[in-house]
Amino acid sequence: MAVVVEMPKLTDTMEEGVVVRWTKKVGEKVEPGDVLAEIETDKATMEYEAVDRGVLLKTLVTEGSGVAPGTPIAIIGAAGEDVSAMPIGGSSAPGAPAAVVRVVVTPPAAITPGRVAASPIARRMAGEAGLAIANVTGTGPGGRVIKRDIERHAPAPLLQAATATSSEDIVEPLSQMRKAIARRMAEAKPGVPHFYLRREIDAEPLYVLRQQVNLDYAGAKVSYNDFVVRAVALALRSVPAMNATFGGDRIVRYGRVDVGVAVALPEGLVTPVVRAADGKALLALARETRELAERARAKKLRPEEMQGSTFTVSNLGMFGIDDFAAIINPPEAGILAVGAVTQKAVVRNDVVVPGRTLTLTLSCDHRAVDGAIGAAFLAAVADLLEHPTRLVI
Amino acid sequence: MSTRRSPMAEPTTATVTFREAIRQAMSEEMERDDRVFLMGEEVGQYQGAYKVSEGMLERFGERRVVDTPIAEGGFAGLCLGAAMVGLRPICEFMTWNFSLVAFDTLINNAAKLRYMSGGQFTLPVVFRGPGGAAHMLGAQHSHALDGVYAHFPGLLVVVPSTPRDAKGLLKTAIRDDNPVVFIESEMMYGAKGDVPQSGELIPLGVADIKRPGTDCTIVAWGRMVGISLEAARTLEGEGISIEIVDPRTLRPFDAEAVLASVRKTNRCVVVHEGWDVASFGAWVADLVHREAFDYIDAPVERVCNADVPMPYAANLEKAAQPDAERVVAAVKRVCYK
Repeated sequence: MAVVVEMPKLTDTMEEGVVVRWTKKVGEKVEPGDVLAEIETDKATMEYEAVDRGVLLKTLVTEGSGVAPGTPIAIIGAAGEDVSAMPIGGSSAPGAPAAVVRVVVTPPAAITPGRVAASPIARRMAGEAGLAIANVTGTGPGGRVIKRDIERHAPAPLLQAATATSSEDIVEPLSQMRKAIARRMAEAKPGVPHFYLRREIDAEPLYVLRQQVNLDYAGAKVSYNDFVVRAVALALRSVPAMNATFGGDRIVRYGRVDVGVAVALPEGLVTPVVRAADGKALLALARETRELAERARAKKLRPEEMQGSTFTVSNLGMFGIDDFAAIINPPEAGILAVGAVTQKAVVRNDVVVPGRTLTLTLSCDHRAVDGAIGAAFLAAVADLLEHPTRLVI
Repeated sequence: MSTRRSPMAEPTTATVTFREAIRQAMSEEMERDDRVFLMGEEVGQYQGAYKVSEGMLERFGERRVVDTPIAEGGFAGLCLGAAMVGLRPICEFMTWNFSLVAFDTLINNAAKLRYMSGGQFTLPVVFRGPGGAAHMLGAQHSHALDGVYAHFPGLLVVVPSTPRDAKGLLKTAIRDDNPVVFIESEMMYGAKGDVPQSGELIPLGVADIKRPGTDCTIVAWGRMVGISLEAARTLEGEGISIEIVDPRTLRPFDAEAVLASVRKTNRCVVVHEGWDVASFGAWVADLVHREAFDYIDAPVERVCNADVPMPYAANLEKAAQPDAERVVAAVKRVCYK
């Protein structure tokens, strides 16, 4: 008996999944655990494994098409089994006479390794922009590089010269990730009453210690953000009221400290989660964060690695931002926005001297926490960062 | 007189139906040139099977509005012969389905005589009538033959989509010295539109942009233009801007207008009646693939009839033809949405 394979719900927020590529061809044998297709969700591209044994009789969704979870996408059954009566919601054609010409179109085969599939205009635009097409991630069917992929990579002036439509607006379709960001942020900003607390800290000790750590541990590459994440994790333990979520008729204080770290990608951002961050030593935390960020940039994160953080840290210091206010990542009660460590004149012992500062901005959900709690948490973070040996010993 | 004149419109423009526009074109040309006459089944006493020629018998008399027996093979040949010796006939087929009875006359004679006589004959004849599916006429009476006639060099093929185009193109067709296949739609005879009353001539082979846009080109003609406009309105709500190019004539074909549009939008969907295999739409898609290859971001999609004889049942008949929903889906595919 043939079974209908449905689009899985791979994440809690998934409203649509795109079949990027069928890794099994129609007619091919399928064993449980075999990868059937690559599916792009709002978070990542994932391999979808079959749970049934049989032959892939039919695919119901073309590569590059998106459908809602629960929608039939394929039929697996015995070889030669008649699946015309399967409940797949398709329209039935009227009985056709035998003489009608039948055009048999085989599903697109996987692209030959080493060959980059690209639409003609994408190829031309890449050439004009001096971009190697092999370096561009394709988002079309089967990974085909299409116009929008080039537009994302190439500097705008080059493209505008290439397309000779410089005065026209460029309309870029939303990626699944951008859709998810837009939905969640729009949900957070009017839905969550934000308030903001800002604090400038003395970053001189942090600057010195980080240099020392990176000298003493060759290849450790500990970033300022690693110190901040560690400080946040410890501060969430000492001010547990901040490690919470507003739940309508109750407030949940989390028992775990799982810190989300925002990672910028060309098409948006994701927040991989450092689990039990309060129990991890600085070097381990740094290594794990770097590894998560690398996989995030390769779009290889599993959805569960991006879910369930209890607090988030967002850092724009590497982009030269002094300070900014972030939008809360619901359902968390807070997010810490981290600016750049900058050299400037500071007053120390009543004398103006050269120093280094770092500005932290805490956004809080006022339904879950009040100003005093936020201030206490921010003070705890600041205290740790201003005495950073506490973060390493 | 059912012609209604809008008080807001310019005095030289009137809002008229598609059938009135065709009648105006024929009447004006018959007033202008007494070599022009109308011949066909029920065109006179019955006032036209679809009332296109209503009132013309009274106005022009039996010598110039001629009822025929049910014998397309005969009267199509008669019209062709009249054209060869200097008259300018308009040959009405009650529907284009019945032109198949006169297929030899149209293909072996009309399409070939200018060529095979080394230009000794001119053939100023227009064959016209409704084509395509209407409503529950069954498989034999629902043919869209535009692509079939466009297949043969030697015939001009006109498929208007608005009353204005119908009038302006028919007047030009009547004045042309080549045999013209002019295909209307029963479903559109009642459609109204503004039509200049100034004797406007629309040249054959010049496309019309029915809607400007930036994201995807739809090439559609005849009744499919309306369906494409409906789809474009839906897509506009989803942020996809459609440009509709109506070639208006399949022969000659304004390839440059189609290609210029695709070079701008990088995407193309062809919407046409008739079947997928060996169709005119397939040729348009091929043209775009060859001549705008470096500009396309996705293979050209086509929306056309299901590969079955036209069903009689209303629901199946609807399902077998292009509609706005299918056009929207095809556009989204080429836009990778």
